[in-house]
Amino acid sequence: MIRMLDHTADVGFEVGGGSLEELFDEARRALLMIYFERPPESGSDRRRVELSAPDLEALLVRWLNELVHLVQDEGFVPVRAQIALPELPEERALDAKLTGAPLDLESYGWQGEVKSATFHGLCVRREAGGWRAQVILDV
Amino acid sequence: MKFERLSKYKYRIPRSGRMRVDADFYASDEILAALEAESYASLQQLANVATLPGIVEPALTMPDIHWGYGFPIGGVAAFDPAQGGVVSPGGVGFDINCGVRLLTSELVQSDLEPVRARLADALYREIPSGVGAGRKDVRFTRSDLEKVLQDGASRLVESGYGEAEDPDNIESRGRLAGADPEAVSSRAYERGLSQLGTLGSGNHFLEVQYVDSIYDQEAATAYGLREGQITVLIHSGSRGLGHQVCQDYVERFLSAAPRYGIELVDRQLAAAPIQSSEGRAYLGAMAAAANYAFANRQLMTHFTREAFASVGLISRRGEMRVLYDLAHNNAKLEEHGGRGLLVHRKGATRAFGPGNPDVPEQYRAAGQPVLVPGDMGRYSFVLAGTEGSMRETFGSSAHGAGRRLSRNQAKKLARERNLVKELESQGILIRAAGRATVDEEMPEAYKDVADVVEVTHGAGIGRKVARLRPLIVVKG
Repeated sequence: MIRMLDHTADVGFEVGGGSLEELFDEARRALLMIYFERPPESGSDRRRVELSAPDLEALLVRWLNELVHLVQDEGFVPVRAQIALPELPEERALDAKLTGAPLDLESYGWQGEVKSATFHGLCVRREAGGWRAQVILDV
Repeated sequence: MKFERLSKYKYRIPRSGRMRVDADFYASDEILAALEAESYASLQQLANVATLPGIVEPALTMPDIHWGYGFPIGGVAAFDPAQGGVVSPGGVGFDINCGVRLLTSELVQSDLEPVRARLADALYREIPSGVGAGRKDVRFTRSDLEKVLQDGASRLVESGYGEAEDPDNIESRGRLAGADPEAVSSRAYERGLSQLGTLGSGNHFLEVQYVDSIYDQEAATAYGLREGQITVLIHSGSRGLGHQVCQDYVERFLSAAPRYGIELVDRQLAAAPIQSSEGRAYLGAMAAAANYAFANRQLMTHFTREAFASVGLISRRGEMRVLYDLAHNNAKLEEHGGRGLLVHRKGATRAFGPGNPDVPEQYRAAGQPVLVPGDMGRYSFVLAGTEGSMRETFGSSAHGAGRRLSRNQAKKLARERNLVKELESQGILIRAAGRATVDEEMPEAYKDVADVVEVTHGAGIGRKVARLRPLIVVKG
């Protein structure tokens, strides 16, 4: 589930998923919807992302910022992700195997850069049937 | 939200709850109605800023106040290092030292007409947006970049990308002191290397304009502005390097804040004492990113001159002069009321009044030039800093129009229209990386900057000097 939020100056989204892994993958998809009018659907390049953070909210911000870096600085658009979120004793971690396509501004309908995911209004919470999160991004 | 009217354009949210000081804001009836329409979300953000330790009364927003993330846009907050005052990376923002630079020329509109389309193409070519690929014509090594982070705009001038006098007319002479290139992460360097001299996207732009009205002849003369003159306004910041510095330090400050007993009402306001190791490290990294932003605008100035020369409009680069370069996202140590304070400006500009030694000598009697861009269809303004801004707003003023519509609303409104053609029929040539950026940035998406300027002028925190109208707009 992805719902775009109407923030006047910036952009935001609410995402939902049956599991945390699904939630983080929905956040990736939402980011691509912010970037592109027609996000690519296939690709054969591969990347691996391993991250850790003190809590789930910070992990979600890190995840999105890592994807921002891949898209904007490395020209890699993450089309699919296999995400694992191993529980560690003192922090949260993410291990993602990404398949993607090279950035093509024209073909995908580039809509502009993202500066960063923010901690403002950020939440990740468990609810009946799964997980839900809200993120505001500075664009 | 409780507030009281202090004067025609000035309001106060009295201290309550966890607020440590009163919070003042500037608004017309229209701006007030817009604040009400968003359920006073930006005023709540202003009240949140007033809870931070060591804040000096009052917390403020400028007339272009709008909803931000953490700090409201238009926010000004001064902190006293001697009273446990804090620095907040979120209060500076991701685009550290984002700002605008105004160039003036000896040209008038009729000089431009025969080559306008060619000039637009040349500018679009010379000033890349920097997404996906950086500049291919200029390469910097990590060691070059370290020097840029240390020295700012003057480093590029010394390398041949500018005129010797350019830094004289840049806020803080294009270099914030205390920059610590070692406090900047490798990831930030990596992101910054290919993006120096690039515009970015969103609300960043390069605009060729003409002076359409002069309101204050004396100040205009001091600034070198006259009716009909061609000017260029460049709006950009510290690109991925600045964004990364902010990300790195917001995270670091989130874990540091509890150690200093700082309770956060919004995590994006993560803060640490100015005089803590974290505070000092951030200020060193922030100054380095600020110097990158000054250098970024310097490199784009060079390539703007190249574009003008390539179509035969100028023969010497010095024929285009830097009028001023002014930042609107930073935290600077300044003296106010005899105290050294760290003034955060988040979407607000410095606006020092007449006589201030930090204002370039030829502008000192008039007050510092204040550049207030509007939208791509209407106009931008040049104002002057006043005694009022020194007295009331820690020498600060408005930085722009402020959005009225969200990006999605703008895109919906633009869907059935061809904005590039519409603007062309109004005499404005657009060159942009994609349709989406133009649609999102359509004139109707912004408030009329003239309203912001009227409040700024009417409240005495800026004085109207001149109005500039767009002829060519380049968007990333």
